[in-house]
Amino acid sequence: MAGPPLTERRLAFVLGKGGVGKTTVAAALALGLADAGHRTLLLEVAGERRTEALFGMPPSVDVPVEVRPGLHALSVDADRATQEYLTIQLKVRPLVEMMARSRAFHQVTQAAPGLSELVTLGKIWDLATAVQGGTPVWDRLVVDAPATGHGIALLEVAGNVRDLAGSGPIRDQADAIERVIRHPAATGVVVVARPEDLAVTEAVEAVQSMRAKDLPVTCAVVNGVRTSPFGAAEVDALRAVAGRPGAPDADRAAALAALAVADGAVHDAREVAGLGRDAGIPVAVLPVVPDLSPASGGLEALSAALMSDPAIGGGDGG
Amino acid sequence: MAADLDLVGLLEGRRIVVVAGAGGVGKTTVSAALALGLASRGARVAVVTIDPARRLASALGIEHLGDTPHRVDPARVEAAGMPMAGTLDALQLDPQATFDRLVEREAPDDAARDKILGNRVYRHLSGAVAGAQEFMAVERLHELVDSGDYDVVVLDTPPARNALDFLDAPERMTRFVEGRGLRLLLGPRSGAGRTGWRALQAGGHMVMSVVERLTGAQLLTDISEFLQSFDGMYQGFSERASAVRLLLESDSTRFVVVTGPRPEPVGEAIALWRRLRDDRYPLGAVVVNRVHPEPGGGGSAPDGLAALLAGAGAPDPEGLAARAAEALSAARARAAADRHEMASLSGALSAPPIATVPALEDDPVEVAGLARVTRELEGR
Repeated sequence: MAGPPLTERRLAFVLGKGGVGKTTVAAALALGLADAGHRTLLLEVAGERRTEALFGMPPSVDVPVEVRPGLHALSVDADRATQEYLTIQLKVRPLVEMMARSRAFHQVTQAAPGLSELVTLGKIWDLATAVQGGTPVWDRLVVDAPATGHGIALLEVAGNVRDLAGSGPIRDQADAIERVIRHPAATGVVVVARPEDLAVTEAVEAVQSMRAKDLPVTCAVVNGVRTSPFGAAEVDALRAVAGRPGAPDADRAAALAALAVADGAVHDAREVAGLGRDAGIPVAVLPVVPDLSPASGGLEALSAALMSDPAIGGGDGG
Repeated sequence: MAADLDLVGLLEGRRIVVVAGAGGVGKTTVSAALALGLASRGARVAVVTIDPARRLASALGIEHLGDTPHRVDPARVEAAGMPMAGTLDALQLDPQATFDRLVEREAPDDAARDKILGNRVYRHLSGAVAGAQEFMAVERLHELVDSGDYDVVVLDTPPARNALDFLDAPERMTRFVEGRGLRLLLGPRSGAGRTGWRALQAGGHMVMSVVERLTGAQLLTDISEFLQSFDGMYQGFSERASAVRLLLESDSTRFVVVTGPRPEPVGEAIALWRRLRDDRYPLGAVVVNRVHPEPGGGGSAPDGLAALLAGAGAPDPEGLAARAAEALSAARARAAADRHEMASLSGALSAPPIATVPALEDDPVEVAGLARVTRELEGR
């Protein structure tokens, strides 16, 4: 791994296909960083507004909301970010309001390649570089990125725009953002997967694609990895009972359920090992947590598991 | 568990089957299994996937899934115990290749075509613009249906929140073509834009000068030049988009919504189904994928397990039996939770047709596995 462990990078992007638990992993990571004493901001950019619900808070778009001590959450809305950006650039409020109301302007921004991604990334960058009283406002920022294809597009957009735009403030900003995004000491990319064949294959492809584009992919997290309380000798005995003709239905069903647990753990361990081998990056493992509702302690348990994993903290976590 | 709906039979005779749903629920597998079932019954079928699906390619026995159709070897299907009366072709959407062909077909002459294909904004645009992929999916669908090579096209759509984008893509394209934004970008030089440009109020000019201040003149010039090079082709784009929209709304089409038995995807499936129903799209069925079956034993306790395990030579039969009993309770709780989710789905949508597929350890990696999913979808 080039560069410091994930927990020491200021900006972490959490990427993954839909349905893999990306939002949960981002929240668990942000919670862990906050608990470790970092002033942390968790940013959701996919427009789904699920983060606050994980912490039992109503969604917020305007200002960061403190969801736990030292941990703030914010949903970045591309339209709103565009307006904010215009306000900063144009400095004339009536002009900004005219632009925001203009349908033509919205159509132009929709047609301009990747503008909404650029503005979103620009907003993240503004927050990452915000300074108050000589110190950074945020020690750590965790970005819950859109599902993989789009997530990578978000990371690439600054470079694309820099190459396309000849001059002007957008080009300069794109260039500045691009340098931070690609800096392995500043930025880390986490790829989230589930312990399933297809999900692992896609995660490996995402890692390879990002590596080919020189994006600082740091580690992977496999979410929902099953473990088994059954040893090898026990599995043999369970198999004998399950295959025994004439065993009562409930007894056979219990043996089969236990075997499914054992087989599931073997399967998941194989997927995790395959991901580490094929992607060539450290892999952190998260257990199955059935209840993630705010009062259940499920998210806290995931956060503790994540922060103590050597793949996240570089071996000295805990 | 829901009764034995024959979803493949329900879809027979349609020209388009659109498979939609949240990310990670197994849409691609369900699309392929439905396509396999339709082909088995005698239709000439094309299944189009949008995401790279290497596993699906291997499940179908195809080396590399690409923009051109690949025929699934009927011998493989028959070896999996399934008759193959029709044909099954699989392809993966390549937005760039589709866009290139669209340009080649609609360009008035070679010079216009080369100008577009050589424009540096073009290469970025087709990949980066939000909705371009969805629009190209619609365009590819048009091509395949129009080709006459297929009785039915099964389309695996982009994941969920964008499933709605997919439906909006043709309309968005039309709106954009007819809208002021395009005219502004085209500027007064363009034939199509000239009248519109003059008609604009002062606000329009200001919009452009502000955008130019932000992006630099060069980018705007490039985009404008790029859009101008399409001049005269927009009408064609717009017409094709409308044609697909009409087809998607007609009785020739069925929408299948795929979900999993968990609160989140079920909520998304309910929203998607309602949206489709409100917009009068022809609904087929909901597929609940990866449902945990009810374990055996009819709910009674495994009282005799410790003795049986002792007989099988387990070191600590009592402790092991207790842990196995816990595993059984957990499996029963999972099955009950799945039933609960399916009941809330059925209740929220006033009992739509529902097909179920049981949970498999992995998505199918060979035709035999896919055929098993097909049989489940046939209610067998």
